[in-house]
Amino acid sequence: MTAGLSEFGFLALSAALLAVGLFGVLTRRNFVLLLIAIEIAMNAAILNFVYFAGFAPTAASGLDGQATAVVLIGFAATEVAVGLAIVLALNRARGSINVAEATELKL
Amino acid sequence: MTDAAGLAATFAPEIVVLAAALLVFLLDVLGVRRLEAVGGVAVAGSGLAFLLVLADLGFAPLAAIRTIGAGAINVAPAAGASPLYFVSSFGLVFQALFLAAAFFVGLASLSRDPHEPGAPIFYGLLSLATLGMLLVALASDLIFLLLAIEITSLATYLLVGYTRRGLRPLEAAMKFYIIGAVSSTLSFFGASLLFGAYGTTDLFRLAAVAGSVGYPVLALLGYGFLVAGLAFKTTLVPFHAWAVDVYDGAPTDVSAFLAGGSKKVGVFAFFLVFLGPVLFVHPGGPGNPFSGAPFDLGPITQLLLGVLAVLTMTVGNVLALLQKEMKRLLAYSSISQAGYMLLGIAVGSPASLAGATFQVLTHVLSKGGAFLVVAGVAGLGVGPLVDDWRGLGSRRPLTSVAFALMLLSLAGVPLTIGFASKFVLFSAVVDARGYFVWLAVAGLLNSALSVFYYARILKVVFLQDPAPAGAVVGGSEPAELPAGGLGYGRAAAIAIATVAIVALGVYPQFALGPIQAAASHFYALGA
Repeated sequence: MTAGLSEFGFLALSAALLAVGLFGVLTRRNFVLLLIAIEIAMNAAILNFVYFAGFAPTAASGLDGQATAVVLIGFAATEVAVGLAIVLALNRARGSINVAEATELKL
Repeated sequence: MTDAAGLAATFAPEIVVLAAALLVFLLDVLGVRRLEAVGGVAVAGSGLAFLLVLADLGFAPLAAIRTIGAGAINVAPAAGASPLYFVSSFGLVFQALFLAAAFFVGLASLSRDPHEPGAPIFYGLLSLATLGMLLVALASDLIFLLLAIEITSLATYLLVGYTRRGLRPLEAAMKFYIIGAVSSTLSFFGASLLFGAYGTTDLFRLAAVAGSVGYPVLALLGYGFLVAGLAFKTTLVPFHAWAVDVYDGAPTDVSAFLAGGSKKVGVFAFFLVFLGPVLFVHPGGPGNPFSGAPFDLGPITQLLLGVLAVLTMTVGNVLALLQKEMKRLLAYSSISQAGYMLLGIAVGSPASLAGATFQVLTHVLSKGGAFLVVAGVAGLGVGPLVDDWRGLGSRRPLTSVAFALMLLSLAGVPLTIGFASKFVLFSAVVDARGYFVWLAVAGLLNSALSVFYYARILKVVFLQDPAPAGAVVGGSEPAELPAGGLGYGRAAAIAIATVAIVALGVYPQFALGPIQAAASHFYALGA
């Protein structure tokens, strides 16, 4: 299951996904793009579970890893649903989903 | 106990709370939106679950409704069984604290304006958040733990913005959501690295093999990401900035639940995840984490947690000194309190765990109660600034005295529960010797510092003259509620919290005994 990709290469891929996601969270000003960035970062964790399942000491713990990945995909979808609910409410109240315009609460 | 009846017995409090949440939403769909109905269901659910948890803890008068036998508590899951959850008396103590917080907030919120919409959403989400908190206290698997935390988080994101009116709550919800989603991503990433290093996410297996791992870099990175992810939830400095905005922007009853209730989820998660690594002491001394050889994870983790704890209490207290708004001041004080609680796991002894848990109880009663008072006083037309509270002591003597007792308890003045909990916690930290003595010194200095801003509030409330008539902020004089303008529910919640603060301050052994027993059981499991 690791054909063609070295251990280092795979970890570099998931680290890059996480970095891209976190960079997006820090730079994007549009709430929907921000949600997408968070999902990219989340996929790094999911990918790790699938990958490390191949190295698990027993077959059962390997299955644990793959099952965890499936559960996390479900969780990511739930999280987006809640985020979109907040986007909708915010858009209705303010007519904009630009995060940078959130200035009602001073830091 | 894998049969249905056994599961139902194990999860009885969770089932009660879940049923309350579903019933509230069902009533909403059926068009029954009366405050008394939906609020009553939620409050009764958390109250009943609270009694069930107390019974499981072995509280003698409630033995008739006990659902989990004493033999099934504090038993580590068998190797290879991986049931994902286990019942410990330490977890049950935390469940009782969570349910107490939910009960107080639910009870106080019964005094809201009955014509205001959104009561079913509020009570339904409150029950769902409570359900997640209860599950956290049962976790024995990292993924189960993180998912249970997320149940709470998703419910609280929505709870902050549930009114859907006004920009402030919605912006607070947006900030809370972004920070929360990023932190949960970091937590899951850390968990995935730990899975890679150890091949398991079972917390007992992790504790057993911590330090003897073939990939120390993965393990270190994994625990590092987990610290960051959980630190966001627990509002530890430098991951604290969101908390003040969210507590400030959220409806104040929700702030009470966030500070008094759902934040403690992160504290418990810290205990659960880091007791294993902290306890692990490798005899060969610290090895090189970048070689393949086993190395000592314990001292690194302890130092990291100790530094975070001192940073958190100091920054929280210093910034609280500078605040002019009541809710923001309480939010910063809440951040500093998280630092005290973290001391308990940084030291990692049974006594310090008990002290930190007792401190959590103090915080539930005092900080949760204080936010409930703030919400009630705001309903009287008093503005958000500390100075707007001047002279309240003569206008609302009972409310003011209750508020004063809560603040004194947070400051750690004798004869309140705050003194007892700080005494237990700091003496446990001093007993640990080494550089932990300096942690205790830092904690004591911080307690002294915090007295300044609590005393400032008391001075404004009791010693200054009331604001001149007509200076009421917020426009018109609000509708007068029963029970001194607070409403019966809120008055009852504040009164219960105040009585508990004083009673447990005079006689702490009533709560401290069970907490110490639970902490030593938990310690024995983690070792």
